[in-house]
Order: sequence, then C-alpha cells, then structure tokens
Amino acid sequence: MSAEKLVVVEDEEHLAEVISDNLELEGYAVEVVTDGLAALARLRREPAPALVLLDVMLPGMDGFTICDTLRKEGRNMPILFLTARSAADDRVRGLELGGDDFLGKPFDLRELMLRVRAILKRSTWYAGPSPAGDMLTLGNARVNFKSFVANIDGREIQLSEKETMILRCLAEKPGEVIARTEILDRVWGYDAFPTERTIDNFIVRLRRLLEPDPQSPRYIHTVRGTGYRLTP
Amino acid sequence: MDPSRRKLYSYVAVVALYLLVFGWWLFFFAHQSEFLLRRVADRGVTVSPEVAEALRTATDENMRMFVFEGAFLGLLLLGSVLLVVRSLQKELSVHRQERNFLSAVTHEFKSPIASAKLYVESLQLGRAEGEKRERYLKHAHQDLDRLQKMVESLLASARMTTTGPDVQVRPLDLVAETREIAAELAHDPQTATAALEVSAQGALLARADSAALRTILRNLVSNAVKYAGPAPRVAIELRRDGRHAVLRVRDWGPGLKGADPRRIFDAFVRGGDENVRTRPGVGLGLYLVSELARAQGGEARALTQPEGGGFAIEVALPAVEKEHAK
Repeated sequence: MSAEKLVVVEDEEHLAEVISDNLELEGYAVEVVTDGLAALARLRREPAPALVLLDVMLPGMDGFTICDTLRKEGRNMPILFLTARSAADDRVRGLELGGDDFLGKPFDLRELMLRVRAILKRSTWYAGPSPAGDMLTLGNARVNFKSFVANIDGREIQLSEKETMILRCLAEKPGEVIARTEILDRVWGYDAFPTERTIDNFIVRLRRLLEPDPQSPRYIHTVRGTGYRLTP
Repeated sequence: MDPSRRKLYSYVAVVALYLLVFGWWLFFFAHQSEFLLRRVADRGVTVSPEVAEALRTATDENMRMFVFEGAFLGLLLLGSVLLVVRSLQKELSVHRQERNFLSAVTHEFKSPIASAKLYVESLQLGRAEGEKRERYLKHAHQDLDRLQKMVESLLASARMTTTGPDVQVRPLDLVAETREIAAELAHDPQTATAALEVSAQGALLARADSAALRTILRNLVSNAVKYAGPAPRVAIELRRDGRHAVLRVRDWGPGLKGADPRRIFDAFVRGGDENVRTRPGVGLGLYLVSELARAQGGEARALTQPEGGGFAIEVALPAVEKEHAK
C-alpha cells in the first residue's frame, strides 16, 4: 500500500523541515509548500492529500482564507491548523471555516503525531462504507453523505463536512441515543476540543435546515444530559 | 465589532439623525404660514390677503433666521463630529497596529520556540542520527539565536522609552569601524547571504558611540537583506556632507512599496497584514536606528527613490575635524 500523502504548508523553514522529517519517519509521504498562494494552487490539484497541516500566517495568502476557499469549492480534505495564533477566537474561527483540528505552536511532537493519526482515522471511517448507506431521508430533505449536499424541497444546500459527519454518526444508529462524547470522538477525534457545546451549535443549524419546525424537532431529538437521537 | 468602529458608526448615525430632524424642521418652517392659514380657514375665519401676505413675510423672516441658526449649529456639530471621526480613525489605526504587533511578536517568538522544541524532542526520541543530528543541533541553535536577538531588540526598545539610549560618544574613525562591522556581518547567518560592499570618500571621523554604530549597521544591513530579494546586494557608502559624516545603507530591492516613509522609524510599524506576512521581524529595527542616531546628535532619514532604484537609509552623525580628534 502506498504511503498516505500529507501536505505541510509552513513558511518557517526549520519548522517545515522538522515536521516533515518526523511525518516521513511515521511512514507518510510529505510535500512541503512555503507560500499561501502556492499552497492553494497545490491543494486544488489532484490527487488531493489525505491531510493538510496548515499554518495561518503565511506569505501570499493566510491559512484561514485558504481553508475557506477550499471548503467553498467543495474540497473536503482534512485540515489541521498549526499556528502561533492559538487564542480561543482564532481556534473557533479556524474550526468554523471548516478546519478539522487546531494545534497551537509550540506543540509536542507526540501530540502532533497523535492528532495526525486521529484525523486520518476519522477520515478513514468517513470514507468507508456506512450501515446508513450514502443517503439519508428526513421528510422532504435528502442528504447525500458523499457530496455533502442536502436537497430540501427541491433546493440544494451545501452542508459542511462536520455537519454531514454528525448526521451520518447519528444515522448509523437510528433510534438510539448517541452521546455527545461519542460524536466528539467520531467527528473531531480523541481530544475534548471543541467542547460539547460546539456540537449543540451544529445541531441547532442542522435542525434549522432539516426540521419543519426547529422549535419542536421531529427528527433530531435532544436527550437531556446525554446526547442526541435520530428518528428518520 | 471593533469598539472604535462601533463608536464611529454611532457618530455617523447621530449626524444622520440630526440631518433628518433638521430637514423636517426646515420643511415645517418653510410651510408654517400655509399651515396656519389653513387651520384658521378650517375654523371658518376669513383672513384678508394683506394679513395673509404679512404672515408669509413674517414666516420667511423666521425661516431665514432659522436657516442661519440651524446651519450654524449644524456646522458646529459637523465640525465636532469630524474631530471625533478623525480621532477615532487614529484610534482604529493604533488598534490595527497593536493587533499587528501582537501577531508579529507571537509569530516571531513562538515559531523559533516551536522548531527548537521539535528539534530537541526529535533528538531525545532518537529520531535523528549522524548528519541529521548535527543539522538539528545547528538549526536549534539558530532558532535560539533568533530568539535572543528578538529579546535584545525588545529590551533595547523598552530601555529606549524608559531611560533613553545609553551612548558614550567620542571621535571615531567611521571608515575603519564600518569595515570592521561589515566583516562581522559577512559571517553572520542573518546577513551572510548578502553581497556587502563598503565604499568611502576618504577618511571620515564622527562623534559616535561604537556599540550604537554597531547596532545601527547591523539593523540597517539585516533590514536591507530581508527586503532586497533572494541574492541581495547591499552597499554601505560613507561620505562627508557639510558638518555631518553620512553613512548610507542601500539595497536594490523593490523599495517601500506603498509603506508610509514618515512612519517607518516608528516602533512596531510593519507594512501590511500580519496574517500574510512575508518578512520576519516585529518592526523595531529602524526605530532603534533612528533613536540611536538622535542620541548621538545625528538623525536617520529614508531615501525612497535613490538614484539607480531600490531603497536607502542615511544616518548623519556629527563629523569631527582631524585636528579635533584627540
């Protein structure tokens, strides 16, 4: 099996070197890009990498804009932000723009490797076959887990990767209560960031899109103190 | 939303409201006589044409007075709002500068710490042997050097604002000192990539402090190297200009590219958005140059369009005649 391809976007020469060396030692094939515009051009090309490690402060174009642009173009490769700007606002912004995880500099080598493995594991879960199939039907809404597109009353709405992952996580066990911690683990990874409150925000948006009356949901139910249950 | 921006919008809203109210009053006063005549007529009282005309004339007089007073008050209000807007714009620019500075410092400190830490951790975990191990050690050392320079710059800047620069001026052979410092810079990893030339129009003595001169040249040359492109050519030219000994450091890079030449000597000023930063630094180098030049009785100035292109900075120091050198 060929090595999984990772792209490291980092303008600091030393950091790029030591990160890529260590990832290569783990068996990944690593490509380093040092400029924001060059990174966007590379990430638009096929084959898409299995994971992008993306700095925020970059010459040419910043990492947030790169992530936003890629997501708006429907490119859903996992993105791990590596940045010196690790204040809560920056973290939230990175995740809202579609980043999968956020690691503030300076970080531990072992933590970086752990996060990389966790993200790849999550995307492998998502790329694999699902007991829920590729489509979910909730009343007049049909959600395609592959294209992240929801067709609601004839209107096509692009869902984010995280929204689709949460829906699939719930759809794989219809009628069962899925704990918030399980959703965090499946969709975000091993650590407790973002908080469980973040899932609630995603659920609010999903209800707004998919429920006929978001105030009294018919499909996505909250189980107080535990998690959520989907009843298609 | 940024608090300063919020304030700005609320002032704009106040002006808009004032204009609306003023406009309504204007309309009301302009038609005051018509309204009165209509109301009187509604009550069945007939007003003679003479009285109606007198009423209209009185209203016009009132109107003129109101327009004059209203316009005067409006101008006052507009003037004060303009003053507030200008000060808010200044506040916004300071906020932006502070944010940029914070981002720059965060990046400049955390990046070398992050790479040095990863190099050390890789070595501890036995993930680098032989040539790679040596390279990692060398790079970690360079990261620590970078941090040290950053800390020194910040401390120098803090000293500058609290106790002022510590300089001991004495007659110095500017040419010999400059050549010596240039030789050191040729071996410094930060400036070694530059083709550094020193030229002088004869012997030149200046009243200067040797350590301050070293900081000035180091900052100017590393600044030129940062901005002058991949194979930078940097020239240090020394000449006498009246009562001054002038030291010019120039490069053939793209120049200031839209940056404000009046602000480049301010502390923590860096062009553009830090999120798309292209050069390392926090914006202290030229500030230190300018302050040190001033402390030695001289001044620093930027030449945005030197002959032959590029960018140059001149530092003028008080010249000393040879017979007064002792």
